[in-house]
Amino acid sequence: MKHSNMLAMILAGGRGSRLHELTSKVAKPAVSYGGKYRIVDFPLSNCANSGIDVVGVLTQYESVLLNSYVAAGSRWGLDTKDSGVFVLTPREKAESGLDVYRGTADAISQNIDFIDQYNPDYLLVLSGDHIYKMNYAKMLDAHLKAGADATIAVLPVPMKEASRFGIMNTDADGNIVEFEEKPAKPKSNLASMGIYIFSWKNLRKMLVADMKDPNSDHDFGKNIIPTMLNEGKKLIAYKFEGYWKDVGTIDSLWEANMDLLNKQNGLDLDDRSWRIYTEDVSALPAYIGPNADVDRIYITQGCELEGEVKSSVLFTNTVVAEGASVVDSVLMPGVKVEEGAVVTRALVASGVKIGKGAVVGSPDSENILLVSKNVKGVE
Amino acid sequence: MAKAFGIVTSTPRRVNVYGLQDCRPAGAFSFLGRYRVIDFPISNLTNSGIENIQVYLNKFPRSLTDHLGTGRQYNINSKNGRLQLLYCNHNNHNEVYNTDVSDYLDNMDYLNLISQEYVVIQPCYMIFKQDFADVLEEHIQSGADISMLYHKVNNGRDHFLSCRVVTVDKDQRITSLSENRGNRASQSVFMDSYVMKKDLFIDLVKKARDYSSTFSLAQMITKECEEQNLNIRGIQHKGYFAAICDLQSYYDASTELLDMKVARSLFSDDWPIYTRTTDSCPTQVFEGANIYHSLVSDGCEIEGTVANSVIGRGVKIGKDAVVKNSIVLSYSEIGPGVHMEYQIVDKWAKVIKTKELIAKPDDPGYVKTADRL
Repeated sequence: MKHSNMLAMILAGGRGSRLHELTSKVAKPAVSYGGKYRIVDFPLSNCANSGIDVVGVLTQYESVLLNSYVAAGSRWGLDTKDSGVFVLTPREKAESGLDVYRGTADAISQNIDFIDQYNPDYLLVLSGDHIYKMNYAKMLDAHLKAGADATIAVLPVPMKEASRFGIMNTDADGNIVEFEEKPAKPKSNLASMGIYIFSWKNLRKMLVADMKDPNSDHDFGKNIIPTMLNEGKKLIAYKFEGYWKDVGTIDSLWEANMDLLNKQNGLDLDDRSWRIYTEDVSALPAYIGPNADVDRIYITQGCELEGEVKSSVLFTNTVVAEGASVVDSVLMPGVKVEEGAVVTRALVASGVKIGKGAVVGSPDSENILLVSKNVKGVE
Repeated sequence: MAKAFGIVTSTPRRVNVYGLQDCRPAGAFSFLGRYRVIDFPISNLTNSGIENIQVYLNKFPRSLTDHLGTGRQYNINSKNGRLQLLYCNHNNHNEVYNTDVSDYLDNMDYLNLISQEYVVIQPCYMIFKQDFADVLEEHIQSGADISMLYHKVNNGRDHFLSCRVVTVDKDQRITSLSENRGNRASQSVFMDSYVMKKDLFIDLVKKARDYSSTFSLAQMITKECEEQNLNIRGIQHKGYFAAICDLQSYYDASTELLDMKVARSLFSDDWPIYTRTTDSCPTQVFEGANIYHSLVSDGCEIEGTVANSVIGRGVKIGKDAVVKNSIVLSYSEIGPGVHMEYQIVDKWAKVIKTKELIAKPDDPGYVKTADRL
């Protein structure tokens, strides 16, 4: 396909420290979700489905796995002559030495040379840690129709939770008149989703100026957006309706997985017109043994279930042995639950082995238990 | 760089799988939920380091063309390897002309262009795992002109009746190649797989053409065995082996792999079976569903009971439905309350109004592609 005039940059620099050991070796966007996906599959598939050809993935934390993962652009069909997925980590430059990304805006500023190669008309800035399906082409239509300088996707949230978000106050026509980060007394319930479309020429000028400003935090929310509002630029809110989840904590990651057990879960991963693409694994279909007892589960290829598995999400190549029980839990890729082990209300990290007869998690725990190390069996 | 290139042949005339074969060649049969039969011979080649592969397409080329594409999914380097789809002229007036030899003659220019010294030939309708790097090595070491794979069975009286069998002497020389007439239980079934020099292969193809326009390569080699001009050696294959020759053998092969011990001899981490991804989401199993002793592919929605069955991608099984001892191919739908046993349900079919479909293990039922019942 011919080049889209919009280039996407995914901000994937976040360490995701509230996910604890899950992100000790991998960046948050590479964390597994939904049986066979990684979080970054969502923005990447959205880009591919929206007709965006070139995607930069900005990261600086533990980027080896993320880098090798997204480098196989063919997974999202982003491997044609004119398309590609590029991991952009901080690099040493002739004039400035090696700088880490100082903020979200700085991550883009430091890659102006990359963006210039493609000379796009519009720049889409995304966050790499949300689960949602969105057509960015429609958002660009709204941006063009309004003749905006920037368009920010917003999600209506319950008013009582609005003070946890960056809130956009708009006029009757959807023009953003004010941006408030985590306001104590919110005036609106439209939360910023961290998805921006900018007209590139104008943003480029602002970024060049921002880089030189010693008082700036080089952040879109704190600096770029307020400056644009001050300068009287046209910023509009683009309202998103649908499933959207920030999986920033163990509880919310567990919950987002559990959502998939409901028939009407809003995310509808089965929608053939908006597929989420991911790594292709060579494994047999899920096998359910003769003595297994399964009910209300989400399973995928490579699963081998011989025990009791209820209300749980099981990822690729997970094994639940005979006599074991897994309830209200999420088992990430390659988890093995051995004979007689009991796993309840837990999120078990990739490759972890729960030994024979071990008991982890409890049905009445307040929080979900993260199990990130092998658990020894009970003899 | 491999010394050999690979050939996967088109469906021979002796293969006759009721229903499934009405719109696709044997290589395109869906197998074990997410595979197609041809994934096995092609994965054998790429796992053996053979990246130049010719696939011969005869009747109904569409589904295989779709499935194979550029071959990237088989781990073939797109620059120094190649998966070549070769079309052949199918004679609709007289089937006797449709032989593998005529397929090769239709594409002789492309055979001549191959630079590898050896050829590895496999059929598209047999399922097994074989390291052809080892076979090639043994072939070269032995000094044989042709090496042929065979598999020892002890149910040859009533199985493998569409296959050929070989006799092998104590020096592993093949002394005869003939039809399996079911006269003995213990047989060495010929796996339609050969290793030989490319030049000899082309000579044999031309010799067969000159002898009779209806001659196949196997018939030519039968004749060579009788005349004893060539050193033809057998190599015994061990492990899982199935020949999909009719609906019963398709059903049997699918269900015997529900035993994970058997399945592990065919599927192992060091021998991946590659296939084309369809980007299906995982499978949802709802409250009240029961699944026992079954393989379930991705993208399914299951509310009923599934037992001793193989379920393809994107299948929907409604509330209170019972699917027992059956094979349901991709994107089919089994409606609420339907009870089926020993059925093979082809792709896109909807079994909703017919509430009972029961056949027998030695004569499974077949529901046509996209049929509405």
